[in-house]
Amino acid sequence: MSAVIEIEGLRKTYRSVRKGRRVAVDGFDMLVEAGQVHGFLGPNGSGKTTTLRALLGLVTPDSGRMSVLGEPAPERLVRVAGRVGAIVESPQFFGNFTGRRTLRLLAVAGGVPTARVDAVLEQVGLHERGDDRVKGYSLGMKQRLAVASALLKEPELLILDEPANGLDPAGIREMRDLVRSLADSGVTVVISSHILAEIQLICDHVTIVSDGRRVAAGPVREVLAGFDRHECRVRVTEPERAAQLLREVGMSVAVHEGVLAVGGAQEPELITRTLGEQGLWVGELTPIRPDLESVFLELTGSTPHPALPRQVGGSVLPAEEADTPMIDLDVTGDRGVGA
Amino acid sequence: MNLVRAEVERLAARRFAQLMLVLLALAFVITAATTVVGSHRPSARELAMAHAEVTAAINSMEIEHERCLAVKAGQVPPDENAYLPRDCSELDPMLREQLPVVADYLPGVFVFAQQAEPLTVILIAFLLLFGFLVGASYIGADLNSGGVVNLLLWRPGRLAVLGAKLGTLLGVMVLLSVLATVVYLGTFWLIGQTAGLPGQLDGEFWQKLAAGYGRGLVLVLLGSVLGFGIATLGRHTSAALGAFAAYAVVWELGARVVFEILDVARIEQLMLSTYVGAWLTGRLELFDGSACSDGPGFAVCDGTYTVTAGPALAVLLALTGAVTVAAFATFRRRDLI
Repeated sequence: MSAVIEIEGLRKTYRSVRKGRRVAVDGFDMLVEAGQVHGFLGPNGSGKTTTLRALLGLVTPDSGRMSVLGEPAPERLVRVAGRVGAIVESPQFFGNFTGRRTLRLLAVAGGVPTARVDAVLEQVGLHERGDDRVKGYSLGMKQRLAVASALLKEPELLILDEPANGLDPAGIREMRDLVRSLADSGVTVVISSHILAEIQLICDHVTIVSDGRRVAAGPVREVLAGFDRHECRVRVTEPERAAQLLREVGMSVAVHEGVLAVGGAQEPELITRTLGEQGLWVGELTPIRPDLESVFLELTGSTPHPALPRQVGGSVLPAEEADTPMIDLDVTGDRGVGA
Repeated sequence: MNLVRAEVERLAARRFAQLMLVLLALAFVITAATTVVGSHRPSARELAMAHAEVTAAINSMEIEHERCLAVKAGQVPPDENAYLPRDCSELDPMLREQLPVVADYLPGVFVFAQQAEPLTVILIAFLLLFGFLVGASYIGADLNSGGVVNLLLWRPGRLAVLGAKLGTLLGVMVLLSVLATVVYLGTFWLIGQTAGLPGQLDGEFWQKLAAGYGRGLVLVLLGSVLGFGIATLGRHTSAALGAFAAYAVVWELGARVVFEILDVARIEQLMLSTYVGAWLTGRLELFDGSACSDGPGFAVCDGTYTVTAGPALAVLLALTGAVTVAAFATFRRRDLI
């Protein structure tokens, strides 16, 4: 498959008199291939939006190489801009313009037939409210309008930064269906989001960024598989005895309130066999599969801790100043990003 | 072209621009209405009296001139109460820039030929304010609200986008200024025809009015570019307003006082308002008090100096050019976050 987005060694430092120097993205790599629905994940302040802004020519990176649809970005972005639809963070629109007028002006500026306006309003569920002023829209409606503006061009590549912001559960589901239908029609979609369950449902590939660096990338299935510790939850009579028996066959077992957490169970049937042979009957055996949330929290080190409030958007230390080296968890194994 | 079309529509749809247009129209209506109310068509008797007064005034001037010549020739003794210049040509009515006209002696009568120039200056002042504020708000609000980012996602050429915006602003300002002027002067011409006097509308009058208006239009465009440029540099409409207020208070008022205390020569030359005035009027005669302060007296010291339209335009162009280049250069590299 051909690369739609390629980013290599992207670095961006923000400097301000008040806040000093802050490295937002530090040697970041990303690869999105045609036809993918690619999730772009990272905690707040990890560099997601900066990366997307750099890719779209809105911020100037310090170094690195980027290309979009085969054209170097941002130098030749103008050549492919007509094929890329994007929303970055929460786009703002003039409050006293109607949704329809907002889209029509964008269509005129971009040389897109204005007939597309009604089609995209319908597509995002805003057709009935298209003639209302934007200032009367809810956050979710503004988000829909933003997505509509990105769809106007009938893009080959759609970049959506937090598209579910402000959407209610039904809206999130509609957005998911919309992305799926776009993907089915061959559009490559990149979604940055915090709603990990959604990403897991929608995306087939994922890139996870933490502190401005890529910490994992690849097909969602493979990323999750890399974190599968082959754990099972087992409910059984005589849990202490069962734990002893399972430890004897080389499994790690923890007992909590009568329930066993069994690790290293490559073949869950070994558990039932081992316990059954000793007359212990298993009441429940549930394989514990890692989900994107647990992988994300582990990779980004953002697991909530009751005693330590997590700080948002901290600066990335330059590699030579970092206390501990990054661990390369890139399951694709194509490019290490460790320090 | 599509971009310019869209920008024209965006500019026209802006609330602030619409509000300024309403204010412009309101100012027109109020000025025109008060003029109509305060003017009347002169009667034959009023006209005859005015003609008589003009004749008398010119005769009086001629008598003064002849008396001056006679005093200089030693034919009559000088009158201590009468003004006697060194050169009698100063009193020669034939050499006067402007002789008394009938309109001077018609109180309460609007005479278009006499009022057109000051009316145009008022219009230019309003258009200048309009251009500066709308220019600043047009880009400032767009930068602040994310409108520019939206546009750049569609048209990633930053200089082209900013250039299209500036070009649109200038085009709209030219069109609006011409349209407003036609309506404005047309209205007052009509008032002159119906409720006053048209005055002497010869070729010289129209030429002079057109030249003054042309200079005013250039000033309006420069003001629009300045507002646009400063707001681009400051990323906000208020940057332009703040810069204008700060300049007026700190430099035009504060620095002027300091310079006067320090006896700095030709302070007016350091003030932008001087160049605006010189460009608008074509020529500004100024007096430098410090030039004569050490001399024997004003009688022999000529502290006057002149700022003409050419250097004034050069200063205004240099300032506007510098701000514009800085705005484009900054916008080209700026992180839009």
